[in-house]
Amino acid sequence: CTEENVLELEPFNQVSEDAAFSTPALIELSLTGMYNAAQRGDYVGQGRGYPFGAASIQQGDNRGEDVVNTQTFYQLTYTGTYDPSTLNNVFMWSDTYRLINRANIVIQGVNTAIENGVITQEVGDDYLGQAKFMRAIAHLELISHFAKPYETSGSNSNLGIPYREIPFTTEANIEAGIAQGRNTVHEVYTKIIADLDEAEGLLKTKAERGGTLGIVRATMEAAIAYKTRAYLHMREWQKVITEGEKILGDYSLTADPNDVFENGYNNSESIFSMENTANNNPGVNAALGSQYNRRALVVISPIVWRNEFWLPNDLRRSEDLVSMRSGIPHTNKYKDDVNYSDATPLMRYAEVLLNVAEAYARLDRLAEALDLLNEVRDRSLPAGAASYSAFGSKEDLLRAIIAERRIEFVMEGKRWQDIHRLQVDTFVDYDGVPAKVANGFPPASAYTLGTPYSGPYGVEAIPYSDFRFLWPIPQQEMNNNPNMVQNPGWE
Amino acid sequence: QERPITGTVSDSQGMPIPGVNVTVKNAPNRGAQTDFDGNFTINAANNEVLVFSFVGLTRVERTVGTATVLNVTMQEDSESLDEVVVVGYGVQAKRDVTGSISQVKGDEIANLVTPSFEAQLAGRAAGVQVTTQSGIIGETPRFRIRGIASITSGTYPLIVVDGIPIYTGDLGGYASNNALGDINPTDIESIEILKDGSATAIYGSRAANGVVLITTKSGREGRMTINANTSVGFATPISKFDLLKTADFITISNEKRTNRNAATLWAAGTEFDTDWQDAVLNNSALQQDHNVSFSGGTSNTTYYLSLGYSNQESVARPNDMERYSFRSNIDQKIKDWLSVGVNAGLTRTEYNGLNTGTNSLSGNIFNATRQHPNVPIYNADHPSGYNIGYRGTDGNWLSENLVGPWDNLALIGDNLPNIMYAIENNNYYSKINRIISNVYADVKPIAGVNFRTQVSVDQANTSGFLYWSPVHGDGQSTNGRVQNNNTDLTRWNWQNILSYNNTFADAHTVGLTLINEFQKQRNQSFFATGTDLSDTFFNKNLISNSYGIPGSGGGLTENGFISYAGRFNYNYANRYYLQATLRRDGLSSLPEANRFGTFPGVSVGWTVSEEAFMDGVDAVNDFKIRGSYGKVGNVSIGNYPYLGLYGAAKYGDANGIGYAQFGNNNLRWETSTKYDVGFDLRMFNNRFTFNFDYFLNETDDLILDLETPMSLGIPNNSYSANIGAIKNSGVELAAEARIIQTQDFTWNLNANISFVDNEVVSLVNGQDRIAANNFTITREGEPINTLYGFRYWGVNPANGNPVYYKADGSLVQGMLPGGTYTTFDAANPAAAGTAASLSAAADRTLLGQTLPKYFGGLSSSMAYKGFDFGFLFRFSGGNKIFNATRRDLLNMNFTNNSTEILGRWQSVENPGDGWTPRLYWGTNTTTNLSSSAYSRFVEDADFIKLDNITLGYTLPSDISQRMGMSKFRVYAQAQNVWIITDYSGADPEMEIAGVDLNLTPRSSIVSFGLNIGL
Repeated sequence: CTEENVLELEPFNQVSEDAAFSTPALIELSLTGMYNAAQRGDYVGQGRGYPFGAASIQQGDNRGEDVVNTQTFYQLTYTGTYDPSTLNNVFMWSDTYRLINRANIVIQGVNTAIENGVITQEVGDDYLGQAKFMRAIAHLELISHFAKPYETSGSNSNLGIPYREIPFTTEANIEAGIAQGRNTVHEVYTKIIADLDEAEGLLKTKAERGGTLGIVRATMEAAIAYKTRAYLHMREWQKVITEGEKILGDYSLTADPNDVFENGYNNSESIFSMENTANNNPGVNAALGSQYNRRALVVISPIVWRNEFWLPNDLRRSEDLVSMRSGIPHTNKYKDDVNYSDATPLMRYAEVLLNVAEAYARLDRLAEALDLLNEVRDRSLPAGAASYSAFGSKEDLLRAIIAERRIEFVMEGKRWQDIHRLQVDTFVDYDGVPAKVANGFPPASAYTLGTPYSGPYGVEAIPYSDFRFLWPIPQQEMNNNPNMVQNPGWE
Repeated sequence: QERPITGTVSDSQGMPIPGVNVTVKNAPNRGAQTDFDGNFTINAANNEVLVFSFVGLTRVERTVGTATVLNVTMQEDSESLDEVVVVGYGVQAKRDVTGSISQVKGDEIANLVTPSFEAQLAGRAAGVQVTTQSGIIGETPRFRIRGIASITSGTYPLIVVDGIPIYTGDLGGYASNNALGDINPTDIESIEILKDGSATAIYGSRAANGVVLITTKSGREGRMTINANTSVGFATPISKFDLLKTADFITISNEKRTNRNAATLWAAGTEFDTDWQDAVLNNSALQQDHNVSFSGGTSNTTYYLSLGYSNQESVARPNDMERYSFRSNIDQKIKDWLSVGVNAGLTRTEYNGLNTGTNSLSGNIFNATRQHPNVPIYNADHPSGYNIGYRGTDGNWLSENLVGPWDNLALIGDNLPNIMYAIENNNYYSKINRIISNVYADVKPIAGVNFRTQVSVDQANTSGFLYWSPVHGDGQSTNGRVQNNNTDLTRWNWQNILSYNNTFADAHTVGLTLINEFQKQRNQSFFATGTDLSDTFFNKNLISNSYGIPGSGGGLTENGFISYAGRFNYNYANRYYLQATLRRDGLSSLPEANRFGTFPGVSVGWTVSEEAFMDGVDAVNDFKIRGSYGKVGNVSIGNYPYLGLYGAAKYGDANGIGYAQFGNNNLRWETSTKYDVGFDLRMFNNRFTFNFDYFLNETDDLILDLETPMSLGIPNNSYSANIGAIKNSGVELAAEARIIQTQDFTWNLNANISFVDNEVVSLVNGQDRIAANNFTITREGEPINTLYGFRYWGVNPANGNPVYYKADGSLVQGMLPGGTYTTFDAANPAAAGTAASLSAAADRTLLGQTLPKYFGGLSSSMAYKGFDFGFLFRFSGGNKIFNATRRDLLNMNFTNNSTEILGRWQSVENPGDGWTPRLYWGTNTTTNLSSSAYSRFVEDADFIKLDNITLGYTLPSDISQRMGMSKFRVYAQAQNVWIITDYSGADPEMEIAGVDLNLTPRSSIVSFGLNIGL
């Protein structure tokens, strides 16, 4: 019974922060821990796949009109009835910043470790690249929910989100973080691009990583692919093309549109996915195989199902990818409905192709655009079906590209970012969030192909001018951050 | 002329009492003691008076007269002046106590049917609140002494059994269990509750929430006494929810649809009228309790041995508890100056549990109250035998994780499985082996000095098991689940106590106690899981190779403290009292610089009745004024709250670590400063007792989660820091009256009432803390956890929309199907409003405090010849409850509802109760404002309850002795049988932090029992 063995106790379950970056092995663990924050997150003490394990997909889908929420699970997101304390948006915010903080901790820890000679510059560079990549894509995910889209006209000084670049492990940094306030949309995108540029220079390539790691860890190609997405949001069409061309041909679409899901960790098309395993996944209340497949909490909407661009015999309607249950199409992209080991697809080559196709079209390079659009679409056409030939106008081509994105990426969470960025466009008649089919299972008859779906709608459209178009900044943030400005209408 | 007088002294049950002091009044040199068989011999003259005294028994005086044999019966006296009270690390005569201590005798609660003794303390002591919040056996009742002393740290009192500070709360496994359930109530001699700063300061850093001292029974010198108690009873739920039956269910469900112009209706089919609540609840839960004890001793050895068995089924199927307990308390005198002893309690307690999640799909009440009444539970047609899913057109079963729709036209809402499948097939248990034991030696080197060293251990080893069937319910999504776990909690404690007591010059009594204490605990656990089961056959344990996906985990924590303490007592002529204590504690959970804390306490007392000027006031037997001050701490702050930590964090199957806790090297003790003034009064031959206390407890340096903005990404968006203060103050009154005391008839009444006022004094930056459930707020200047939400106006009579107040008093209506609000004019309800909002930030207001402002109890015990009759009423009030269960039962999805929904608005002509809006499917967020609290469901929680009532009959001793027994009593009792309240929910005590949500109803118990003495 001495003070030494009664009072001076060290934890067994956790590593003290003084030691966390002291050895190469611990540093590598911290890097993996950063991905953990992306894959599992924290939802009131549970890992529910925030933000990238599953939640970004579910929120991205349910904010749009191409899915139907059948139960109450995503109802607040689906019907736009959230408020500053609704858990779904609160945890998207909280968990994404939690991931960002882990990335910043890695950046600081790795830099110190390189200085102290704990790890080599070469090893450190790849770590820094991965951290900056994750920091960039995390901010990119947040800004589309909490801030207005990037505008090319005017001052572009709309409020964005705080872009965090220092780790919050000390009280001094907390003060600096609170002092920061919201960056503008323009500043945020500039920093996203800067981080991705840097990551591109630091990261290993897909080939260097090799195998599954080339998909589930950040690579040079993934940084480039994300730049095509970020520049698309920024309407920097030429830059989309410049970035895209760096990797065009480095990947290929899988022969069958199902293969990229069937073999999620080993295929020629996936550029970046989150890894889920039987032992470590977002669980019954979040995993895509649970929510979208087994529990059928979200199904494909008649709105996209009857979209005129989606041919009745398109392979993306085949049993491999869609299971019809009682006449209602459920996605079959996420196969493992028992152990939830499906990869979460975050960036596929198909998206890069369509991003670049759109950029070409925007710049009136219609033939090149058409080629890339057909590359994506033709893969899923049945034998003998015709590719698109020339469109009557640039606008028609753009509409086909947007439709192709909805069809190709249905139930992959990409709908919201398109709705968001297209608000400032004129060629599509988008005003806010389109009207949706009512919450609950639609009748099977609503899915009869042949005509576009024209109603009934149970969830009214939310105009772009309506405050609900943007998510509110969480109340917790407002309570604790005197420099945070709430989105208008949510005060 | 003196001559020898002989006789026997026995107790009220006819048992001889050894060791009774027999003296001759005014002749102190002629004393004697009764022997082993209660016999005495003393010399006395005819005109002299013999005085018989014994601790715990009423003093008896008898004039000798002409008799040579004088047999005396001594009555037990729970309020004897000579009675001792257990205080920390020692005992004191009750009259010398200057702190605030409540005492409950073990026999007051001994025969009550209860899973754990503390549940029966409710209403028995002033300032003590014990609330059993549900009918689940194994859930730990809420235990508060004088309010809530902390916001985020522990608020549970320190529990000390025979000097052993024991583990409290849940001990692990997969069924709820209560660490205090491992103590057999029958073994308890007395329970002391230390409340004020002076009484608790001796426990220093652990005493902020008060201290409860439990003393188990010990043997007395004399022949062996055998006591056997047995009781058998049945429990039923106190109430059930008033749900729709089939006919109304169909009307209401389809109205939800037609009001929204839905193409298809929902409900059809009247073949069944199933009561799902009845199915998940047990209306005749068997409760039995059997105990036998052996006690006695010689002049050198005393012992108390007991065996106990208890088996209690809960009103919630399949929840139950089975306890086997064994206790052995032995004292051995080795030399005049040395004795040793052991107190050992061994128990095996097994709990079966279930999913009671208040928001879980398979939560028993959540699910059962939503099930459709017009479908059956079972369906022989389905391979499982249960009504699950439905056959598709191809004959295959579909939707097999939902209850079958039967004739209904749609599947049930909210994704509900058939709850009876889970109840009858899944398995949750916790089996606890517990040792609470100490070994001690007492050394008396010189007169007045005693040294005790005591080593004790509390060891709880819990094995847990969980099985979720792959067929249906929680386990279906992972094709089944089995989990085993083991939790090993071990706490060592070593105390050295040196005490000295002496009286000088007949007037100055001095006592000094010096204490040194070490404690270290090590808590470790591990678990293993398997999912994707090969077959339902493998459902009793993890069986190697019977599942597809294995998983495992575990953890280990330690903490410890080192303490030095002293207590000094002084009194002058039993008139002026002073007690001072000082404790210095070092705790491993704090950073090195702040590791030690000093906790002082002091109290003074003045026994006014001993003063000469009171001599003429015969009515007053005893009158003492007390005052105390103390400073204590709270150690329930976690194990390493100050360290910056990185925890295990896997990505896929790759190992990793991630930032898990923000460090704070400035963390220090939470300190609670307690003040108390009071008085104790006894009058009219000690027949009336009255105690009064005013107390003020101020807790400073509260360790709060200092919330950090989420956009910083700090783990849990907070870290521990000493900010904030909370204050509890109040008044406690306790009274006791021995109204009738005759040979054949006695009647005692006991009453207490407490008024407690809680106020949050300061918080981080004055910032409100809104609870995670969004229903309550903790705000400076208000009581903790005050209900917080919108004010409800009622229903728009023109269209059935719900109408709310905004902060400025104006009205807005929620527009169905939802998401938008428009202004509302009560004078012109039909007018179309303009766009408006209901803002969570601006329009919410305080809706009432959730802590009772007053509470108390009234108990009565009567004995007439062989009959005894007792009851306890308990009351509480001044608080509000947010009845979220009631809101859940008005769900707008395709689920069942309570009958309250029949009052809905249907049309302008038929506007219903004016309170329940128009039905509209899928609009819970608007119709029922499901993400906030609001005044529509806020209700008064005041109640008066008849907690228990007992009628017993004891055979006259001559008859029982002829049957070979010293005592034979038979009794019948009822517990929790009657309540007076306006609260519309099941029970106003079924709230957690002011919110009533889908808890299992508490139980009423009727039982019969026997007490036999041999």
